[in-house]
Amino acid sequence: MEDSKKIAHEIGGVRNDAFRFGLHGVKSDIVGSHPLESAYHSTKARQQEMKRKILANTYGSAFPMKLELDRQILSRFQRPPGAIPSSMIGLESLTGGLEDFAFEDYLNDPKESESFRPVDMHHGVEVRLGLSKGPVCPSFI
Amino acid sequence: MATIDVPQKGGFSFDLCRRNEMLVSKGLRSPSFLKTGTTIVGLIFKDGVILGADTRATEGPIVADKNCEKIHYMAPNIYCCGAGTAADTEAVTDMVSSQLKLHRYHTGRESRVVTSLTLLKSHLFSYQGHVSAALVLGGVDVTGPHLHTIYPHGSTDTLPYATMGSGSLAAMAMFESKYREGMSKDEGIKLVADAILSGVFNDLGSGSNVDICVITKGNTEYLRNHLSPNPRTYPQKGYSFSKKTEVLLTKITPLREIVQVIEGGDAMEE
Repeated sequence: MEDSKKIAHEIGGVRNDAFRFGLHGVKSDIVGSHPLESAYHSTKARQQEMKRKILANTYGSAFPMKLELDRQILSRFQRPPGAIPSSMIGLESLTGGLEDFAFEDYLNDPKESESFRPVDMHHGVEVRLGLSKGPVCPSFI
Repeated sequence: MATIDVPQKGGFSFDLCRRNEMLVSKGLRSPSFLKTGTTIVGLIFKDGVILGADTRATEGPIVADKNCEKIHYMAPNIYCCGAGTAADTEAVTDMVSSQLKLHRYHTGRESRVVTSLTLLKSHLFSYQGHVSAALVLGGVDVTGPHLHTIYPHGSTDTLPYATMGSGSLAAMAMFESKYREGMSKDEGIKLVADAILSGVFNDLGSGSNVDICVITKGNTEYLRNHLSPNPRTYPQKGYSFSKKTEVLLTKITPLREIVQVIEGGDAMEE
């Protein structure tokens, strides 16, 4: 999910960019480039899974399912793609993200990236309707 | 209907790790680690908590700042001393203090010390020691005074008196010999100052002045530069320049007003 949003930097399935990925090796594909990387990407999903289990054990399995439905509805409730990104305030109030403040709120903002490309509205809408391929936001961070 | 992605967020990027690893293996020398030095202490006295810190910031063998602040604000009733990488301790304490503020807005109640302890330790543990912040956290909440130490990997201690940093051994010696339960405020401040001073004079990584923060129920007293045992000998009070070095123009000519403001007229409808 996290990786699918970025444009892959590989041509023909081979990671050719030696500056970005180092020389090709089997070990680095499995382990990741930094000891923290796998933990960093899996922590959030694991915490959500744990929270879901706790809720299911406490209130029954219907409750987390209803929450999941709400989450899906609220994550679709967005501005049309364009200059102003969606604030996702409904989704954040559901997940508790409104009360949270972490590195992703002030470090390495995608909008300040040197490789940022403004979103094309027509392309974005086509992606949402399933007419066109690829991520809505073509820039990578 | 196709699923819609939520907007991307920033945070850490591991893009350059492989490149750096490759460059190191090709013979590029990576910058070596710098030894950090600090003395930070805290103790629980009769009415609350006293935190203390020295004010020297080192950059390897160089003293980078002679009067830096190591006691960071977390909440009106909670403060936190930081040792380790200065940027990490500041970033972590600022971030958690923002989280506590949001939590206070949400609940409308005073923050508890355990809340900030849990936020700090879960953050530090999730980064597996790569965020190098060793902290002494102290505060007074509805359940009384609390003092905790937090290690860079996320383990914590709850103690009546605590020390951290390279001068922790010298400072702990003072606490071990002189601490007792139910000290008064003046005795507590004296002991904390003694502990910091023993760090200042016996540890090369610590030095300069003594900062102290006294937290009691409903009141916080931040004594910045409580003691200055190492004053500057020369020059004593900055530099004095002879008169008429530069004659500054004292008459101020107002700028021409571009927009004319007309008073009166019809009042705007509400």
